Amino acid sequence: MNGARGSARVWIASRWDSFGLPALIAVLVLVFSLLSSTFASGYNLFSNLAFSSLVGIGAIGMVFCIMSGDFDISVGSMSALAGVLGASLVGRIGGVGAVLVTVATATVCGIVNGVFVTKLRIPAFITTLGMQYVYRAIAYIYTSNTPVYIKDPFWLFLGSGTVLGIPLPIIITAICFAAAVYVLRKTPFGRSVIAVGTNKTAAMLSGINVDFIKNMVFVLVGFFVGVATVVTASYLGSVNPGMTGQGYEFQVITVVVLGGTALTGGNGNMLGAFFASLFLTYLQNGLGLKQVNSYWQFVATGLVLIFAVGINRVKSALLGQREL
Amino acid sequence: MIRFLKLYEKFGIVIFIALGSIFLVAVTPNFLKLDTILNILAQAAHGAIVGFGMTMALTSGGFDLSVESIMALTSVFMALLIPVIGIPMAILVSVLIGSMVGVLNGLVIAKLKVNPLITTLSTATIIKGVALLVAGGRMIVIMQKQFMTIGTGKLLGVPVPIYLMALFFGLFYLVVYRSSFGRHVAAVGSNESAVRISGLDVDLVKIGVYVLVAFTAAVASVVRTSQALIGMPSMSPGFVLVVLTITILGGTSLAGGRGNLWGTLLAAIFVSMIYYGLNLINVQVFYQMLAVGLVLMLALFIEGLRVRYLQAAKAMGIKV
Amino acid sequence: MKKILSILLVLAVMAGTAFAGGAGEGAKKEVTIGFSLWTMKYTFFQAVEKGVRDACKELGYKYIMIDQNEDATKMVNDLNSLVGQKVTGIVITPVDPGAIGPAVQKARDAKIPVVCADIGKTGPVNALMISNNKKGGEMAMEYMDKLFKEKGIESKKVGVGRVQPQYTYASQRGDGFVAKAKELGYSVVSDLVTQPPTAEGGYDTMQQMLSANPDIAGVFFASGREAVGAANAIKAAGKSTLVVGYNGDPEEIQAMKDGIMAGDIAQQPYYIGYQSVMILKDIFAGKTYEDAVVPVDVALLTPDTVDDFQKKVDALMKK
Repeated sequence: MNGARGSARVWIASRWDSFGLPALIAVLVLVFSLLSSTFASGYNLFSNLAFSSLVGIGAIGMVFCIMSGDFDISVGSMSALAGVLGASLVGRIGGVGAVLVTVATATVCGIVNGVFVTKLRIPAFITTLGMQYVYRAIAYIYTSNTPVYIKDPFWLFLGSGTVLGIPLPIIITAICFAAAVYVLRKTPFGRSVIAVGTNKTAAMLSGINVDFIKNMVFVLVGFFVGVATVVTASYLGSVNPGMTGQGYEFQVITVVVLGGTALTGGNGNMLGAFFASLFLTYLQNGLGLKQVNSYWQFVATGLVLIFAVGINRVKSALLGQREL
Repeated sequence: MIRFLKLYEKFGIVIFIALGSIFLVAVTPNFLKLDTILNILAQAAHGAIVGFGMTMALTSGGFDLSVESIMALTSVFMALLIPVIGIPMAILVSVLIGSMVGVLNGLVIAKLKVNPLITTLSTATIIKGVALLVAGGRMIVIMQKQFMTIGTGKLLGVPVPIYLMALFFGLFYLVVYRSSFGRHVAAVGSNESAVRISGLDVDLVKIGVYVLVAFTAAVASVVRTSQALIGMPSMSPGFVLVVLTITILGGTSLAGGRGNLWGTLLAAIFVSMIYYGLNLINVQVFYQMLAVGLVLMLALFIEGLRVRYLQAAKAMGIKV
Repeated sequence: MKKILSILLVLAVMAGTAFAGGAGEGAKKEVTIGFSLWTMKYTFFQAVEKGVRDACKELGYKYIMIDQNEDATKMVNDLNSLVGQKVTGIVITPVDPGAIGPAVQKARDAKIPVVCADIGKTGPVNALMISNNKKGGEMAMEYMDKLFKEKGIESKKVGVGRVQPQYTYASQRGDGFVAKAKELGYSVVSDLVTQPPTAEGGYDTMQQMLSANPDIAGVFFASGREAVGAANAIKAAGKSTLVVGYNGDPEEIQAMKDGIMAGDIAQQPYYIGYQSVMILKDIFAGKTYEDAVVPVDVALLTPDTVDDFQKKVDALMKK
C-alpha cells in the first residue's frame, strides 16, 4: 500500500463507521428511485422508514447484548409471548395497560434469560436456544394456538397514527435510538458494557460488576423487544403465537452485524444498526416493487450480508483493528 | 460420587431416556410395541445423522446454520435428476452438490475468516434462494417408486434409516475418536492459535469439517425426500434448531474441543421419543415444544452443577 | 456530530428523490389491480395467481403482483405499498389472515376495495372467496363411508390430520369431517394437527396414528402434501388404511394414480383467483360488497375421475 492510494483507503475506512452505511443507503435509494417512480414517492419512503422500526427497535437491545459478548436468540419467541399476553388483556385493563404489560412481559423474559446466564452459568446461546422453545410454547398454550386481535384505539394508534405528519413508529424509533446512543456513549454503564465485551477478566479486575452488567444487558434486550412487539402488533392488528416473531432473531442479528457491531464483543455501532435496518428494508422493498423474483431476493440478502461483513473486515484490517 | 459424575458426562442422557420411557410406558400400552420403538428410532435418524455432522462442527469451534437449505437443495436436485440419470447416480450427484455447499462454507470461514454464524446464516439464505430458483418454486413429484425404499424400506424388519444411523455413527466414531483428523478437529476447537503455530493446516481441517456437516445434511435429505417422494425446495423449517438442541443436549460443548458423539445419538433418540410418545397420547404439539425446551434447560442446569461440583472437588485437592 | 450529519445526508437524498419522483404520481386513468400473494411455492397458489392474472388480462387491467414470501410483516408492508401506489383494487391471499386488519382499513380509507382470495379475512374486507371447507370435510367422510361399505370394512375407527388452527376457514375441513363421522356412527380415534405442515409431517403424524391405532380404517388429511406423506407412511407400514386428501394438487393426483390414495377433495384455486378480480370489477361498477363470504364449491376426486380433472387444470394453466 503506497502513499496516495493507501491513505485514500485509510481515509474511507476511518469514516466508514459513520458514513459508510448511510452512503450506501443514499446510493440504494437513488438507484431504486430511478428505476421505479413508486419507490421514490414520499409515501413509500416514509412507510418503509416506519416499517424498518420493527426490526430496528429490537436491534437496540441486541447491540448491547452482542457488545457485552453474549447472544440472545429467544427474541422472536419473547415477542410472541409478550404480544399475546398483552393483547389478551386489553379488555380488562385497557390499551395503555396492555401495552405496558407487553413491554413488562418481554422485560421479565429478559430477566429470566439473564439469571440463567449469570447465576447458573449456562452460556447465553444455549440458554436462549432452550428458552425460545419455552416462551413460544407458553404463548401457544396460553392462547390455544389462536391469534389475538387488537382493536384498542390507543394501541392501534401507536402503529398507524401520525404526529405532525410523522408516523408514530418513526418517532418511537428516534427516541429509542437517541436514548440508546446516549446511554452507550455518555454513561458509565455504556462504557462498562464495552469493557465487559472486550475483556471480561480485565473488566472484573477493574471493579466492574460483570454479573450486574450482563443481567442488565438481557433486561435491555427484553425491554426493546417488548417495545418493538407493541409497534409490530399495532401494525398487524393481531398477535399470532405461531407466526409472531418467526425468524425475528436472525433478522435482528443480521441488522446488528450489518451495522458494524463485531460478534466478538467490545465496541459496537448503535446507529449502524438503525441504518442497517433501513438499508435492508429499502432493499427488500425496492426489489419487490421491481417485481424481482423473490427467490433472487434471498440470494441477494445473503450476499449483502457477506459483503457487509467483508467490508467491515477490510476496514478493520486497514485500520489495524481487531478482526470480526 | 465423582465417578458417577464423570460417567454422567458420557451417559447422563441415558437416565433421561430411561425416565422418559418409564413415563411413556405407564401412560400408553402402545409404547412398548416393537413397531413403535422401531419408528421412534427411524424418526430419530434424520436428527441423529445431521447431529453427528453438527457435533464435528461444534467440536471445531464453529457451527452450521445452513443445513436446512442444504437439505432443500439436495432434495430438489434429486427430484430433477432421478428421471434423467437414474436413482443411484442421482443420489450420488445430489449428495455431492450438497457437500459442495460445505466447501463454500469452509472456504469463507477458513480463508476469509468470516464468523461461522454470519457465514452459515448467509449461505442458508443464498442456498435457499438457489434451491427455489432451481425448482422453479414448485414441489417436484418423483415418479420412480423404487426410490421410496431408502426412507421406508425394511431389511430384516428393521427400517433402513436405522441402519443408516448406525452406519454413520460408526463412521463418525472412527473419524472422531480414531483418526488424526478427529484429533486435529478437537485441537482446532480448543486452541486454534496454538494449533496453527504447530504447523497444522487449520484451514484444511475447517473446510473438511464443514464438508462433513453438509454431507450429513445431504444424506438426511435423501432419506426424507424418499419418504415424501417429492423434491421440496423448502424442507423442515426449524430443523437446524432441533439439530443444535440435540447436539448440545448430548453434551457437546459450544466452546469447542470436545465432541460427544454418543450423547448426540442418545439425545436424538430421546427427542424423537418425546415427540413421538407425546403424540401417541394425543398431547398437543405445543406441550412437546415446551417439553424439549424444559429438558434442554434442565440438562444444562444439571451440567452446570456437575461442572462446578467437580471444580470444587479439584480445588479441594480431591483427585478427579 | 458525525451521526447527525449522516442522518441528515440520508434524509436529504430521500427528500430530493421524493420531490423528483412524486411528480410522476398523477391521476391513474387505467385500472390497476394489486395482488399480494402468500407464496409462489405451491401449485395451489400458482393457480390462484394465474386466475388473477388472466382475469386482469381479459379485462384490460394493469396487474402488479407482490410475493409475501410467507412473511406476515412483509405482507402488511406490501399492502401499504400497494395503497401508496394508488392501485384501483387489491386482491390478497394472506399468509396470516389475522394480521391484515389495519392495512385493509388503510386501503378502504383510500377508497381501494379489497377482496381476499382464499385463506381468511380480518378487517373491513369487501369480500372473501373461499372454498366451502366444511362441506369438503363432510364429503370426505361420506366418500370414506361409501368405500368402507363397498369393501366390507367393519372397523369404525377413523382419524384426521388437521391443518394448523390459525387458519380458521381451512380448519373447518377437519370440523366437517369429524361432525359427519360422528353422525355416521364412526369413532374419531386420532385427532391431530399435522406437524410440521409438510409432506414429512404427514408421514410422521400418520406413523404415530398407526402406532396408536394399528387397525385404523381411514384417515382424512386436510391438506394435500400432508395427505401424500401419510399415504406413503401407510404403504411403508404395509397397511391398507384409506387416505383422503384435500386440495387437488399434482402430488395427490399422482398418489391416486399410484393407488395409495383413495380420494381427494379438489378446490378451484384458478376460479378463486379469477372470480376475485370479477368481484372487484362489480365493485368498480357500483355494486356493494361488504364483508361478504362467497363460498366456492369443491369436488370429490376419485381414481377414475383424476385424468379428466388433470386435463381441465392443465388447460387452464396453459391459457
